Amino acid sequence: MDRAAQTRVKRGRLVAIDGVDLQAVRAAAREAVRSIGAPHCGVSHWDASGVFHELDLVDGAASPRTLLLLYAADLAFRARWEIAPALAEGRTIVAAPYVATATAFGRAVGLDRSWLANLLQFAPRQTEAHVVDAGREALTRPVGFLRVASARWAAPAGIDRAALTQEMARHLRRPARR
Amino acid sequence: MLDQIPDVAACRARVRRHFKGRTRRGLLIAFEGPDGSGKTTQRKLFKTWLVAEGYDVVTTKWNSSDLIKPIIKGRKAARALSPQEFSLLHVADFRCRMDAEVLPALWDDKIVIADRFLFTGLARDVARGLDFDHVLKLYQPLVWPDMVFYFSVTPATSRMRVAADRVPNFYEAGQDVTDVEDAVESYHRFITRIIREYDSLADIFNFTTVNAEEGIAEQHRRIRDLFREGARRPWSPWNVEAFAEWIALHKRG
Repeated sequence: MDRAAQTRVKRGRLVAIDGVDLQAVRAAAREAVRSIGAPHCGVSHWDASGVFHELDLVDGAASPRTLLLLYAADLAFRARWEIAPALAEGRTIVAAPYVATATAFGRAVGLDRSWLANLLQFAPRQTEAHVVDAGREALTRPVGFLRVASARWAAPAGIDRAALTQEMARHLRRPARR
Repeated sequence: MLDQIPDVAACRARVRRHFKGRTRRGLLIAFEGPDGSGKTTQRKLFKTWLVAEGYDVVTTKWNSSDLIKPIIKGRKAARALSPQEFSLLHVADFRCRMDAEVLPALWDDKIVIADRFLFTGLARDVARGLDFDHVLKLYQPLVWPDMVFYFSVTPATSRMRVAADRVPNFYEAGQDVTDVEDAVESYHRFITRIIREYDSLADIFNFTTVNAEEGIAEQHRRIRDLFREGARRPWSPWNVEAFAEWIALHKRG
């Protein structure tokens, strides 16, 4: 990479916004774009690859690891087509949600940290991270990854959705406090 | 962790109790090898023989889960997969089949024949440039097959058999990483890398190598003999974690 390109990479910023409530995460991403005010600042949304959209077309349960592998596959797509190009051009990109949401789900169901870290190791390092609190809607009418996780794993396994949401939120708050 | 998920230590103890002292336990037998090595022919012959011998047999095939296969198929057709995405989606398919087909069958003392197992993913992903340890860890928690039959052929034989009646498809030929326009030439280069990885895996994981250049009947006889020897092996405690997690997260009664 030439010197000019390296300088541009340094200027690119990756802002991660995570949370169990996808609507709140999206709203925070819109607000972040407004407040950053940088030209060409973009947002990388969950399921940009359409993996979970396509999953909706087929019935069947899925384990937490399967769901996380799909989350990672979608994130790999977003990293390749949305996040890495933005950083390479020195732009600011808001990833909503990003790595922490997947990690929180994994920790909530008891998967070990090292497996989760290995799974998501390809994701570019974020410049700054924010966690959005869940609204009441997230407990009653989940959207995004939480909806998929509830329908594909929690419900068939007899796990209470509200408890899963709260446990994920607890894990999300942890790194934010550090 | 969620209170509603059973304690993993208790699940481990339950798994050990379940498999302890079983006289005719389930077995996991993997058929591995490059395309054109004849493993599917041998797998079918072997299954027919096992059923005739009175075994309850389940077959699981690579990239075949109802949930993930359509996702992979569409992306392959669009040539839209990076090596990382290719790897992750195939691990997802593998995990789905482990949870829904392999682990339940082994728990119920059936014989599972896997037409390709995680070693296919490892060989292909590493041939695409991914890190071996990274890919192996994606497949955790692992269930080690009781036997792995590795059908060994040269790259030239694989190329000759595959290209005899069709043109290899884009990902099969590794054209996403070779940058070679001619599919058959790309296949030859890519399968050479894959076979190199398979040969390493055969050493590391102690596969039983079957010379797939031999006649079909000779190979089948050898597989029967090897199965008779291997079927008396004790259950591997390495598999406890995979079963314990399956019980914990699926709340099996």
